[in-house]
Amino acid sequence: MSPSDYKILSARFDQRDGHLLPVYEAAGGYKALRMALTSLKPEEIRDVVKNSGLRGRGGAGFPTGVKWGFVPEGSEEVYFFVNADESEPGTFKDRYLLDYDPHQTLEGTIISCFAVQAKLAFIYIRGEFGWLVDRVQAAVDEAYAAGYLGKDILGSGFDLDVIVHKGAGAYICGEETGLINSVEGVKGQPKIKPPFPAVAGFLNKPTIVNNVESVASVPWIINNGAEAYKKFGTEKSCGTKLWSVSGPVKNPGVYEIPLGMPFREFFHDYLGGMAEGEELKAVIVGGSSVPVLPAAEIMNCNLDYESLMNAGTMLGSGGMIVIPESSDMVELIQVLMHFYFDESCGQCTPCREGTGWLHKIVKKLRRGEGTAADIDLLEHVCNGMAGLTICPLSDAAVMPMRSFIDKFRPEFEALIQETAPAEPTSRWPRGEQE
Amino acid sequence: MSKPVDEMSGWALSPAGTARVEALLRQYPTKASALMPCIWVIMDELGHVSEAGVDFLTAKLELTRARVHEVLSFYTMFRTEQQAEYTLQVCHNISCHVMGARPIIAHLEKRLGIRLGETTPDGKFALEGVECLGACGLGPCLQLGKHLYEHLTPQKTDDLLESLRRGEVPRADTDRELPSGGETS
Amino acid sequence: MAKLTIDGKEIEVPDGTSLFDACRDARGEALPHFCYHPDLSIAGVCRLCQVEVEGMPKLTIACNTTVRDGMVVHTRNERVTSASTQILEMHLINHPVDCPICDQAGECGLQNQYMNHGLYEAKVEMDDKVTKAKAQVIGPHVILDKERCVLCSRCVRFCDEVTGTGEMGIFNRGDRAEIGTAPGVELDNNYSLNTVDLCPVGALTSRDFRFQKRVWMLKATSSVCPGCATGCNVRIDHEAGRIFRLKPRYNPEVNGRWMCDKGRMVYKAVHDEGRLGDPMVAGDAGAWSAVPGAVADLGAKDGFGLAITGPHQSLEEMHLLKVLAGDAPVHGGLTGTDRDEKDNLLLDADRTPNRKGLALLGIEQSDGSALAGAIKGASGPILIHGGDPAADPAVAEALSGKNTIYIGTRGNATSALATVVLPAAMWAEKDGIFVNRDGRLQRFAQGVARHGNAREDWRILAELMNVRGLAGAPGSLKGLRSGLNAAAGLDADLNKLPERGFVPGGDVR
Repeated sequence: MSPSDYKILSARFDQRDGHLLPVYEAAGGYKALRMALTSLKPEEIRDVVKNSGLRGRGGAGFPTGVKWGFVPEGSEEVYFFVNADESEPGTFKDRYLLDYDPHQTLEGTIISCFAVQAKLAFIYIRGEFGWLVDRVQAAVDEAYAAGYLGKDILGSGFDLDVIVHKGAGAYICGEETGLINSVEGVKGQPKIKPPFPAVAGFLNKPTIVNNVESVASVPWIINNGAEAYKKFGTEKSCGTKLWSVSGPVKNPGVYEIPLGMPFREFFHDYLGGMAEGEELKAVIVGGSSVPVLPAAEIMNCNLDYESLMNAGTMLGSGGMIVIPESSDMVELIQVLMHFYFDESCGQCTPCREGTGWLHKIVKKLRRGEGTAADIDLLEHVCNGMAGLTICPLSDAAVMPMRSFIDKFRPEFEALIQETAPAEPTSRWPRGEQE
Repeated sequence: MSKPVDEMSGWALSPAGTARVEALLRQYPTKASALMPCIWVIMDELGHVSEAGVDFLTAKLELTRARVHEVLSFYTMFRTEQQAEYTLQVCHNISCHVMGARPIIAHLEKRLGIRLGETTPDGKFALEGVECLGACGLGPCLQLGKHLYEHLTPQKTDDLLESLRRGEVPRADTDRELPSGGETS
Repeated sequence: MAKLTIDGKEIEVPDGTSLFDACRDARGEALPHFCYHPDLSIAGVCRLCQVEVEGMPKLTIACNTTVRDGMVVHTRNERVTSASTQILEMHLINHPVDCPICDQAGECGLQNQYMNHGLYEAKVEMDDKVTKAKAQVIGPHVILDKERCVLCSRCVRFCDEVTGTGEMGIFNRGDRAEIGTAPGVELDNNYSLNTVDLCPVGALTSRDFRFQKRVWMLKATSSVCPGCATGCNVRIDHEAGRIFRLKPRYNPEVNGRWMCDKGRMVYKAVHDEGRLGDPMVAGDAGAWSAVPGAVADLGAKDGFGLAITGPHQSLEEMHLLKVLAGDAPVHGGLTGTDRDEKDNLLLDADRTPNRKGLALLGIEQSDGSALAGAIKGASGPILIHGGDPAADPAVAEALSGKNTIYIGTRGNATSALATVVLPAAMWAEKDGIFVNRDGRLQRFAQGVARHGNAREDWRILAELMNVRGLAGAPGSLKGLRSGLNAAAGLDADLNKLPERGFVPGGDVR
């Protein structure tokens, strides 16, 4: 197959005015919605999506159709959230989906809402995507005007309202219960589970939160069927996946490829290899929160959930960060530890204190004031953070931290040998002084 | 708190802003759930949420001051103090870092004569480092208001500063796909 | 019922029981915890009560887990202990560990835990700790040290869920998160000091108690608050005759785990400068030995014209006054006094502890003019026990020229008018029974020695019986209570009231 055959989600990415309703309709848009509302029952839609093997594209990879099935049968008041709080460093695919083709996600949203019988949906867009909020709102307005939203959609008797909700700068709101709390008007801190949101989420009512990419895949699956979707990918990693590629490769950007493609092939044929004068050192394959793999290890991986798990990392959000040989790994981990320290919601003690502590130790190492005991201390702190908190942010800090030490220990040790403290290039924001 | 907001402090939203708040209260399922968008209305109009703004929110949404302040302090984009005319927020996260965010920050510091986290004495520019802006394949990047400037180079940042000094906000990279009919901004 | 195994021990608990409570039962002590509180919602943020449930891949917090039949739980194995030690270490890294100057020392959850876990070695240098505001006054009763806070959110939840006043919040995020009140807001509700009790560390301390006493020096006496008709169960914390604070004592039938700030301050009256310390006859201080003669001189041998008690006195004292009065009328004092605004939690509009006791013994109250009329119509000396009826001008006018004996605790309008003034004990200086607004009989007990030469009221009344030449003056409270029991038809052992009090004829709740 040629790359254009894989374009399930990205078909209109380079089409002029692809974000406008007439262009989307001309390309067969809202056909799936019409079919779903007029000839399918909600449970049939749930079954198709379940059978397609579509897995949550936000990072956890949980089967979307299975998640929908957790809503208690006969629930009167159900809410649906499209998670467009795309904040995982290295990830920018949802932005492309909403920027270039917002109606695709919107159509998927309406079908998904019908499948779980939600009457109100929120599209939660991170605050930093200010222009994107306007773009999606414009698409929602178009959809209302065309009768795809509102009362009695396409004469089916199904009602749905969509609210475009703008975040305000908090990574943790990408966690589904943090996102729900955020819309409830309290701090966007994750809720303790149980209960799970499918049972008691927004306003304590059954709530489904799905990533943009998952939702955007739904119209194609309805149009073409579960079996067609499963033709892409591997047995357990079905379909195509959007990869956000950053770093000094020749062609960074967002790519749609079937799951299971060898990294080597993707790297050479799509990304064009490294940019002029750069050597590949390592790759963080699924967004900043997954373990880093050195070049030699990633080169033998296939890009699907299972292969990456076996290689000791995770597919995550598909935010592929390519690290060149010129990078100082301890400097990079300082950047990441600053991020988790900055973004920890502060609720659970191990994460609140641990993220700050890791950041302080790494800074100390970078100042040339570290000792060998500090590397052990980093591991000790990681042990006190992993798996002990309400949400995965704590683990998200631990995974890169541990893997950076594990895979690039000599760079940490070299800092201990050196005595000259490195002059920081600039100060850090938000009251944090280096 | 029962007094009209403008009598207390002279603080008030424009009629359009007030109408927007009323519309949000009709749209959202509970008053509290309209808190974030109502804060955005104030932010968009006044640039920050003062204590008088908090008064307005507590009265409109029937929330305690503590709850409103918790939310204001939780999100990096909400501000409770007067902001500079132009706040340049440069991404310093990993992808942009790898692509040279540090030199861009250093360049801006030199050009503006301030350090990261500071505001120029005339109140025109503030320089902030921020976490990932979702432009990882397009870095280094910076955010100004609701727009992104991507693929930054020293030259491009100089051009940006020059335009802003003239009071002109240059076309952002995120505006590139605008159809001819125009988009709300 | 669910059967489960905790640390190898089989226990059976009702379905729906929290695993936290089941573990407490099985272990005989609670799991380590800061944020869990039985009367507040589950926050699940301190992460200390982690346990291992067989079949679950990760450790889980017991406070947010409901028991399941057949659950096998480990709370003390290597995996759990090492996790809780590490989490505790996280709580400590930014804590100032300023125990030597902290009021909480000795009753601090954090201190107890780190001693239990042996975490004496600091892994963080002092300079690296996050610094926050210290000694910040946040309300009339409470002071906040943000550095000591472990962000358990109990105080926030209390103000949101119990008082509904919502003054407190946790602002900012990450390790910059800090507890406090919003700008321009004070923690000023009548239950604010409960946040000090709830605070597991020394972040919230009482302005009243601050720097007054090391807690391990204090002795505790179980008692009842006399501040209003609710009768909150309290603990009097005292040392060397001085009361330092009142703390609520758990009684699910009365006050749960809370008490109000007004109630917490009632102890101050015990050490008030206006206390009466010596018997006074015609304005001169004298000895108790002179009292029988002086009282007899007023004609008390032949009985009293009128005896007035009041809702501040114990049930035993009211009963004994009736016995002492004999045929003379017994009046219950003024109806309109000691009333103020009630709140929706515990504080009652009736600011006396025992008005229901008067009703139980059939003693009626009246307004000032009716009482003045009764005084004017009385022949013989007037005996007034407690209260300050002469604060009412009509009563004061009626009393002028009468021979009056006043048994009281402090100088006031009534003591100024009385011919003989006998200093009595306050509630914290004696034992007795109050009947609260729901008709619940509750024991209060002596915590501290009596002020000056003040005497227990029942002994004074018994002495007056002797002066009158009446037989049967009680030799002990115990004896007095059996008389009371018979007279009031209570059918109870008043010397051994149940811990939660006793409601004649059955519990009303």
